[in-house]
Amino acid sequence: MKRCYTYIIMLFCLCFFAESSAQYNPRNVCRIEDNKTIFKLDRRWNEKQRKEIRNLFDLDSLLLAAAFRGAREIVIDGSKWQIKNIDKNQVEISKDININPVQQISSKDIYIFDDLINNIANIKTQESAIFGVNNFKESKAFEYKNNEVHLFLRDYPKAKKIYLSGTFNNWNTMKLPMRQTPYGWMVNIKLPPGKYLYKYIIDGKWTDDFNNHNKEDDLNGGMNSVFYCPNYQFVLKGYKEAKGVILAGSFNNWKTNQLKMDKTTDGWALPVYLKNGTYEYKFIVNGNWITDPANKNKHYDGSGNINSVFGIGQSSLFKLNGFTTAKHVFLTGTFNNWTPDELAMERTPQGWQLAYIVAPGNYEYKFIVDGMWITDPVNPYAVGQGNIKNSFFAFKPNHTFELTKYLAAKKVFISGDFVDWSNDEYQMVKRDGRWQFSLYLSPGKHTYKFVVDGNWITDPSNKLWEPNQYGTSNSVVWIGP
Amino acid sequence: MKFLESDSTRPIELRFQRMKISIVVLICILSFPLSGHSKRASISVTSYLSIVKTAGNNYTIAPGIDVLTIPLKRVGNLFMIDANVDNQIGNLIFDTGAMGLVLNKTYYRNHVIEDSQPSNGINGSISNVSYVNIDRLEFSDLTFKNTRADLTDLGHIENRRKVKILGLLGLSLIKDFEIIIDVNNSQLQLFRIDKKGNRLNTTEKSFQSDITQPIQSTNNIIFLKGMIGGKKLNFCMDTGSETNVISNRSSKEVLKSITITRRSSLQGSGSKKSEVFYGTMNNFVYINKELTGMETIITNLDNLCEAYGVQIDGVLGYDFLNKGSVCINLNKKQLGICFLKTEKK
Repeated sequence: MKRCYTYIIMLFCLCFFAESSAQYNPRNVCRIEDNKTIFKLDRRWNEKQRKEIRNLFDLDSLLLAAAFRGAREIVIDGSKWQIKNIDKNQVEISKDININPVQQISSKDIYIFDDLINNIANIKTQESAIFGVNNFKESKAFEYKNNEVHLFLRDYPKAKKIYLSGTFNNWNTMKLPMRQTPYGWMVNIKLPPGKYLYKYIIDGKWTDDFNNHNKEDDLNGGMNSVFYCPNYQFVLKGYKEAKGVILAGSFNNWKTNQLKMDKTTDGWALPVYLKNGTYEYKFIVNGNWITDPANKNKHYDGSGNINSVFGIGQSSLFKLNGFTTAKHVFLTGTFNNWTPDELAMERTPQGWQLAYIVAPGNYEYKFIVDGMWITDPVNPYAVGQGNIKNSFFAFKPNHTFELTKYLAAKKVFISGDFVDWSNDEYQMVKRDGRWQFSLYLSPGKHTYKFVVDGNWITDPSNKLWEPNQYGTSNSVVWIGP
Repeated sequence: MKFLESDSTRPIELRFQRMKISIVVLICILSFPLSGHSKRASISVTSYLSIVKTAGNNYTIAPGIDVLTIPLKRVGNLFMIDANVDNQIGNLIFDTGAMGLVLNKTYYRNHVIEDSQPSNGINGSISNVSYVNIDRLEFSDLTFKNTRADLTDLGHIENRRKVKILGLLGLSLIKDFEIIIDVNNSQLQLFRIDKKGNRLNTTEKSFQSDITQPIQSTNNIIFLKGMIGGKKLNFCMDTGSETNVISNRSSKEVLKSITITRRSSLQGSGSKKSEVFYGTMNNFVYINKELTGMETIITNLDNLCEAYGVQIDGVLGYDFLNKGSVCINLNKKQLGICFLKTEKK
């Protein structure tokens, strides 16, 4: 008998769930009829289902609450909704589509529709990869010497025109024609070290490089080919009998199966592209980790290990005058994730200094003098909100914002997409009769405004501007690749 | 719905004023990029140029070139062409829904505005018509001089797609060519044609169409007939529309056949917003070909009808165009479609 009760309860539960899921089908919720938008809702939906419907159909939670409560009508954002009970479970809400207060699609407009599931289409622009190694099928396909790339595409004797297009020229389709030779097509381009995506355009048709193993999804059903212009060669002399040598370092999260070195006449070598910065590394020879015998610079990693260390790029000299009686001074900032005790500064007769390599970019930093965090006393650029300020510097800035008016203003900030439109973070400095702020901006379009004593203004000296969602305008600047 | 005939009798200012709408639905993240232009057209010496003058269009093309193959840059489901417009280098969106050349105000608002005068819209409203004159427009091997262009705000598209968009390029500038649009291969082919619509080049293989039909066009906008739920509807074919669109004023049968999957707001330029429904077209038939599962949005198209001067029930955009390649010959008033052998899902 007990078992019988259990079965009945189970059956009841099963029926309940079956019924509950049967009436929940988002594809049957909405319809348009007689110039009315109608949504059929069901009181049996659980919280999760109600939330999903709210999100899918952009329905206000107050509207749904009123519908399930059994109200007759409700006005939301100026739209009047009629509510009609169909039975004890189902309720229909409707509104007239013609009295919708929002704008219609009009002529001379392109409209953007943000999909709920994802996403804004991202264009593959110049990428700032930390490191990369080329992987071509034949060595002739790619060469990089004296900052010049030489690409060779075998065959295609019948092609009329072949162009190279990639992130290095903003994917221009006509700027880089290839030269035809008896063996194939060639092109040379001057490029600084870096990572580049590309395709060939063979008689008008986009084609990836079949000779290159390095490919990335072009998010368009095809592939972009990838090459790296190397700026460093790792070399390990000797160890000729080793079966293989692996390079591992902070740049590839110490992966032990990624960077196989090539055998040379006197040892092992691997040309790589590395973004400017400071890195630690080791070689793995037949499974044994060794530091670079040719490099005297070594770091303790804090866990008892010693790694070889080196930097790529120009170093910045950080200086702190005074504090001569201090025992320890450390430099810390966004370039080392604010690790407090990593970058010890060296004592000088005037105070303290440290040369440190960073990639072009914007950085915040502080000095730690015997445990006390201070901003750089000689740097007028301090950023941050409220009372918490850090010293700021842009290494190799590529744009300077300037405002020659409003010189009597007390405070002027630069705001834009690059600072998430914060209106009190990047404070401009008055110099040479103008407000100034230099930044390293990523390639592409940026929109910005000045905030003068709390008032948002577009750049009076920039002719490029566009309307924004607040009914005013933003200034526009393009940074080249 | 009654199909209204061409509004060619209306004043030219009014026709230029009504430009275009394109619906851009960001449903896919796709690749491809930015700006540039062809300088090749500009290097030719005058004596090497053949000047082609047609009604309204005055372009030059190097002699011996009868076929232009233009790689399209795909950005989302939009297709861009490298161009140089009065020394600004960037992209033009290839947009068959645009009437002529429409430029981005960000870069061209300071150009001389000609004949800015009010004109009456067909619903009686009064609006200002403003347009600019472009001295030189270059793309592929074509150079256009003294081209009139309308202006619009396209900054919001640039911000979403991270590309420099100089404007929209409609069919009217290339109406003297046979036009083959192949979105699956990101390619646009232009064949020079004579007044009767026959190709000057006879060596290239002619377009093999599965379906050929006469086209209705007004101001070089292409209109196609389709059927939904047994109802005959008038569509605009629009490469500048990332999805199909159905008018929310369509008949009960049409709207009933669409499964509505969600509702959202369209963000237009500036602060404009509009309500749209998003769904799947279930019973669409083009000529004798049934196309199922195309995505569509449902929204108000009153202003678009007014812009085109034609009653339209919807727009066929990328979801339709990716079913194959399309050949348009405005001189022959003929359109052909070659469907992909394995239909895209």
